[in-house]
Amino acid sequence: MDTKITLTKGFQYVTFAMMAIGIAVIAYSFFTDPTRAWANFLLNNYMFLSIAIGASFFIALQYISQSGWSAMFKRVPEAMMSYIPYAGILMLLLFFGMHSIYHWTHEDALATDTLIQHKAPYLNIPFFFIRMIVFFLAWVLMTRLIRNASLNEDKVGGRSFFEKSELLSKIYIFILAITFSFATFDWIMSIDVHWFSTLFSLKNFVAAFLHGTATVVLVVIILHQRGFYKEMNKSHLLDFSRYVFMLSIVWGYFAFSQFMIIWYGNIPEETEYFAHRWNSGFKVIFYVNFFINWFLPFVLLLPQVLNKNIKVVKAVVIILIFGQYLDLYEQIFPGVMHHPVFGITEVGFFIGFAGLFLFIFAKALTAVPLIPKNHPYLDESLHHHLH
Amino acid sequence: MNKNHIIGVFDDEDSLMSAVHEVKEKGFEIWEIFTPYPIHEVIEAMGKKTRFTFAAFIYGFLGAAGVLSFMYYTAVIDWPINYGGKPTNAFPSFIVVTIVITILTVTLASLFTFSLRAKIYPGKAYILPDARSTDDKFVMVFDKSKQSSGSGDLESILLNKGAVEVYEKELQPQI
Repeated sequence: MDTKITLTKGFQYVTFAMMAIGIAVIAYSFFTDPTRAWANFLLNNYMFLSIAIGASFFIALQYISQSGWSAMFKRVPEAMMSYIPYAGILMLLLFFGMHSIYHWTHEDALATDTLIQHKAPYLNIPFFFIRMIVFFLAWVLMTRLIRNASLNEDKVGGRSFFEKSELLSKIYIFILAITFSFATFDWIMSIDVHWFSTLFSLKNFVAAFLHGTATVVLVVIILHQRGFYKEMNKSHLLDFSRYVFMLSIVWGYFAFSQFMIIWYGNIPEETEYFAHRWNSGFKVIFYVNFFINWFLPFVLLLPQVLNKNIKVVKAVVIILIFGQYLDLYEQIFPGVMHHPVFGITEVGFFIGFAGLFLFIFAKALTAVPLIPKNHPYLDESLHHHLH
Repeated sequence: MNKNHIIGVFDDEDSLMSAVHEVKEKGFEIWEIFTPYPIHEVIEAMGKKTRFTFAAFIYGFLGAAGVLSFMYYTAVIDWPINYGGKPTNAFPSFIVVTIVITILTVTLASLFTFSLRAKIYPGKAYILPDARSTDDKFVMVFDKSKQSSGSGDLESILLNKGAVEVYEKELQPQI
């Protein structure tokens, strides 16, 4: 059974057009407003990186929990994690935008600000990029190993590849827990250099997992509606929607915990983060963020009538992808731009990065057959049935 | 002794389910099925629907609304106190209590609803046709008086579908 998808010329041209629009807008905005351009650059690159990371965590969890139902979909998250090296190269370009985004890189701030001096052994430009390179090398290495084991399983067969993948996944989630935490501290939290939160990395990790899973679900649903994944049934859909439902609750839990503890403690050096996000026009985003990342999925995926309906699930995951944009906008823009901005720059950056992500993802997805061949749980996945 | 019930004992879920579908097709009426663990397919096959999840949702909704309005009444309307300069309607700090009370409401209300609906209470006399259904056997029970055709047919169907044992028995409440 050959289940390979052909990558159509039309799709490629669409992604090229998206990238072209993106490049045009990016070039224009770097000349007119470099600070805003760098904020957009960080937001979009981090967003698509976190989708790839979330997808890789999703597949690692499927191996560790030895889940049967998801075996036939594993090519989708696998293809998504092939974006990680490209995100790494783009992230290195941040070197030229450090001064625009990060206050702690300013010499005059370092000279007078004792808190920045105190953090200087950790927050300095060389160490920042050493960490970045280490993180990306670890992620690229581990995702490559997992992907290769999975592809070799198709060619050779046998249970040894599954066992190897499971071991690799176990190692990977430990690496990911540490590296991704520090990555969010470095790239996102250090924008507001005086502020700190230990829940921050956990919240962002869950956000990556939630939105990575949402993207996987969206792609699977689109492929199913286009006539691929013929074996997909209501049971698979219910499992996917439960996954998204559960993760949106966890996201809401961590996002609220971080806010509530700071609000209740009411210590100035902590509340300044939210004070900043409640004033100068950002307050709407704070509420809308909770509304679309927690409340909408919670209410829409709760009744069985809705969470077994493919159109509802599709709508929810599309909303969640914009929810992630909003979540990151709330974390990055108040610290860099100080007042809400939204216009052609933001849209153009998003389209450009989305085009790049889609192109790389589609290349990786179409390179190999859509449904794996020798996965030990494949049969269970094809005949998955819940009551 | 009046042996008024037919009891079929099965080794596994699959043969039980195929027997259930077969006897339903032949028009026999199943009195009750006893299984070691809950099987949703059995509930569906017996033609029983549950509105339990909806009831649980209502309890949760009422619990959340109730505890929020209670806290609002006590902290804002009846006895406002200034805690560290916070507004008296300290909504974010109400949320944790709301979650916990909601879970408690749902749990207790569901427990009582189930007990009422299933008429189960401590010390109730129970009917257990075959004690092995609490271990590893799947047991189907038929009321002999309610079957239109002969019990001989039923017995052969059950044995055909993989019953390890079919016998007749009078059911008596045990304490």
